[in-house]
Amino acid sequence: MALINVANREIQCKIVYYGTGFCGKTTNLHYIYGHAPARAHGAMRSIATENERTLFFDFLPIDLGTVHGFRVQFALYTVPGQVLYERTRVAVLNGVDGVVFVADSSPEKLEENFQNLIELETNMRRMGKDLGSFPFVMQWNKRDLPNAVPVATLDRYLNRRHVPAFPACATTGEGVFATLRAICKAVMAVL
Amino acid sequence: MSGESDMEQLTNLVVAEGELTNIARTLGRLALDTNAGHTLLLDKSGQLISAQGSGPQRDLIALGALLAGAFSSSRQVAEILGERDFRAIYQQGAYESIYTLMIGEQWLLVVVFDKQTHVGLVKVLARKASEELERILQRVRQGSAQAREQVVSVQFRDSVSNTIDLLFQD
Repeated sequence: MALINVANREIQCKIVYYGTGFCGKTTNLHYIYGHAPARAHGAMRSIATENERTLFFDFLPIDLGTVHGFRVQFALYTVPGQVLYERTRVAVLNGVDGVVFVADSSPEKLEENFQNLIELETNMRRMGKDLGSFPFVMQWNKRDLPNAVPVATLDRYLNRRHVPAFPACATTGEGVFATLRAICKAVMAVL
Repeated sequence: MSGESDMEQLTNLVVAEGELTNIARTLGRLALDTNAGHTLLLDKSGQLISAQGSGPQRDLIALGALLAGAFSSSRQVAEILGERDFRAIYQQGAYESIYTLMIGEQWLLVVVFDKQTHVGLVKVLARKASEELERILQRVRQGSAQAREQVVSVQFRDSVSNTIDLLFQD
């Protein structure tokens, strides 16, 4: 739920990057942290295991500065992708204003992407939200893999709602900002 | 549960100036009465609505996100145990501790206090403050739609959109 604080002249929104383990959610945030202008972001915080898998979430505050007298901020979160952390994903989704589904383009991950998407739909429904009428974009990550599943196939199996989808390679940054721009605008459109 | 669903249908919460003053006053009084370094009001997604207290300067935005995350997580733990939910959590440190209390289904009241203050006092006064805050927040919810119109115009959305394009270039 976006917060519009008239007295402090601030607007705050929450965006969650969702997807399977190792699909590149944290890499998206790292790229944004490393390449967005320094004034446009705060410190990135990660709650990770010893081997750097996301245990709870990553958190990166984004600050657009002042627009028409209001300071506009987006809080970016990732969820832990591993199957056993479903409860944690539900906790992180709490109060979300926009979702990015990061799909791994490897052929062996197609089914896992699909299951993860169904889980996301279910979790959103439990919170009284329908992804069909909610700020939601998809990212086809790891397009640099030599055996990446064709975009048309990903689109057919995973993007039944025909929401905006962006080919990406989060390690090089390709598509990272395009995805971020799209979800921020989608959130603002329903504010 | 139906109450929670109703809450979720809100896409935004607009806090008007007068009500923020009331919230700040309640948080300020709680900070004073418990000698707390910080009292915070968060929404359950982790966004900071108001903060009071004269404790050391801290990254309150990150603190809000992490505390709301911990609270959300504890509710999932409650579900596994078959509890309806946990309405409060207490994090105890050697020098400072944190008491977080849920207000309604949507908000969290956080008190960061040091070892001079007894947790029992914090619990009692936080409960009292939460009742007052709940009344204020109900009014905020009711006035949200109207207040939103005053802030979010087509021009505002366009300007935000342009800023997004400007800042996040490939």
